[in-house]
Amino acid sequence: MLKIKDLHVSVGGKEILRGINLEVNKGEVHAIMGPNGSGKSTLAHVMAGREGFTVIGGEVAYEGKDLLAMTPEVRAGEGLFLAFQYPVEIAGVTNNYFLKTALNALRKYRGLPAMDAMDFLKLIKEKAQIVEMDTALLSRSVNDGFSGGEKKRNEILQMAVLEPRLSILDETDSGLDIDALQIVAKGINKMRSPDRAFIVVTHYQRLLNYVQPDFVHVLSAGRIVKSGGRELALELEKRGYVWLEEGAAIR
Amino acid sequence: MSVESKGVIPAKAGIQDWIPAYNRGDDKSSLQVEAHRPDGTVVPLSIETTAEGRRLSIPERAQASLIEIYETQGNEAYSTQTTLRIEVAAEARLAHYKLVREGPRADHQSFLEVHLQRAASLESHVFLFDGARIRNTLHVRVGEGGNCVLNGLYLATAEQVMETHTLIDHLKPHGTSRELYKGILDQKAQGLFDGLIVVEKDAQKTDSSQTNKNLLLSSDAKAKSNPELKILANDVKCKHGSTIGQIDAAQLFYLRSRGIPEEEARKLLIYAFASEMIESLPVVSLRERLHQLLSGKFQKGGG
Repeated sequence: MLKIKDLHVSVGGKEILRGINLEVNKGEVHAIMGPNGSGKSTLAHVMAGREGFTVIGGEVAYEGKDLLAMTPEVRAGEGLFLAFQYPVEIAGVTNNYFLKTALNALRKYRGLPAMDAMDFLKLIKEKAQIVEMDTALLSRSVNDGFSGGEKKRNEILQMAVLEPRLSILDETDSGLDIDALQIVAKGINKMRSPDRAFIVVTHYQRLLNYVQPDFVHVLSAGRIVKSGGRELALELEKRGYVWLEEGAAIR
Repeated sequence: MSVESKGVIPAKAGIQDWIPAYNRGDDKSSLQVEAHRPDGTVVPLSIETTAEGRRLSIPERAQASLIEIYETQGNEAYSTQTTLRIEVAAEARLAHYKLVREGPRADHQSFLEVHLQRAASLESHVFLFDGARIRNTLHVRVGEGGNCVLNGLYLATAEQVMETHTLIDHLKPHGTSRELYKGILDQKAQGLFDGLIVVEKDAQKTDSSQTNKNLLLSSDAKAKSNPELKILANDVKCKHGSTIGQIDAAQLFYLRSRGIPEEEARKLLIYAFASEMIESLPVVSLRERLHQLLSGKFQKGGG
């Protein structure tokens, strides 16, 4: 589904990603862990097509197509989704309208007819229940005045409504209390299927107690320095990142 | 329009008399004014013509509304000039709505002065949409415990020039004023907001705020903002501020990352910026009309 080959990315002239190689197949959940500043969020944003990140080398193939040549909206149309670490507030656009516009834009891209208001209402109510979101938040402006937990739940709600094939979750667990974390994890787990893949970017392994990854990769100074199974996350929790960084420096 | 003119000033006849405009082609302009007493009965109003323009008095405790609509579809060059002075007596309330959609070669200049007596209030909503050159001037004198809300939205494109000049003069204590004007400027348009708030020496305990926000959609568009406070009293709460900015890159990316094409996402954000001014309108029919006008230009943003 996704093949990242020797990806180098710079931000403001500084090389942040220094040769990332990663392959993600359908049905898999990959966790990308690493200390602050290791390039985790850069990787997530580059996948979604954020401006200001310059790809200086390497390639990314998504379903056999050149992902880096696509605009952000085309990437979404092709089934890619980024759950933001810091969801953006948009005063003056209601959550409902935003979700409906996004869903119908994706349907249009895929050659499907627009969903009518009644069907949409039914869908959104059903999806809001998954993340236990108060439906009052649906008629409020997008993320405007939402608490940190509400914003993260809103990201998962969007994911549930838009049903992407590849979801990248950027520090979705940060700033969540244990209840909110469980709700978010439930939302992710409910979406897991043999056709979908997830990349879970996180600093702590806490979320991985609830969303069991198939693979864990450790990012340090812009490179994946270690890959393994679920047990790697537990080891990181015990030993921290320092031993890996030292290892990376020696190489 | 839900507010009808109730035999006070016949809308059409009133406006022709009221605006000394020439060569107005396809004219759909109207002025509607009405007032009620607290018990709901209609208050007869009369507009008096003087050498300096028109005068209108709203009696004590009455609730009045004034709707000014300037709409012309012709392409002729003409000018609209209006002057109106309104005296709002103690505890009376005036709601003012104004929509300017003049012809593409028209020049529009209006001067409205409102004097709020003790505990009187004014709520004004101004929408400047079309016309080659628009100059909107509003002066409000606020008496003891008076309350004034000035809201406005200007949308300019091509080579349109839209100016707003407001003066809020707090004469007596315990007055409040809230002013918010927003501008959206595209292509080579120019917008000017010139707002002065004066708090006179006697006007202790005044509570006042003034904000002007501008959204520039092109590198050739210009916005100028001069919010100004002149405070002569020493126990007051006043603030002012202005912003001139472009479409927020983070918001645009957020929408696009959800599959909304760039052009549509931009329209949605422009609409979102403007919609606050429309949502604050208490008249449902006018709100719907403005939503329609706006979504003709930009993508709709709420429901």
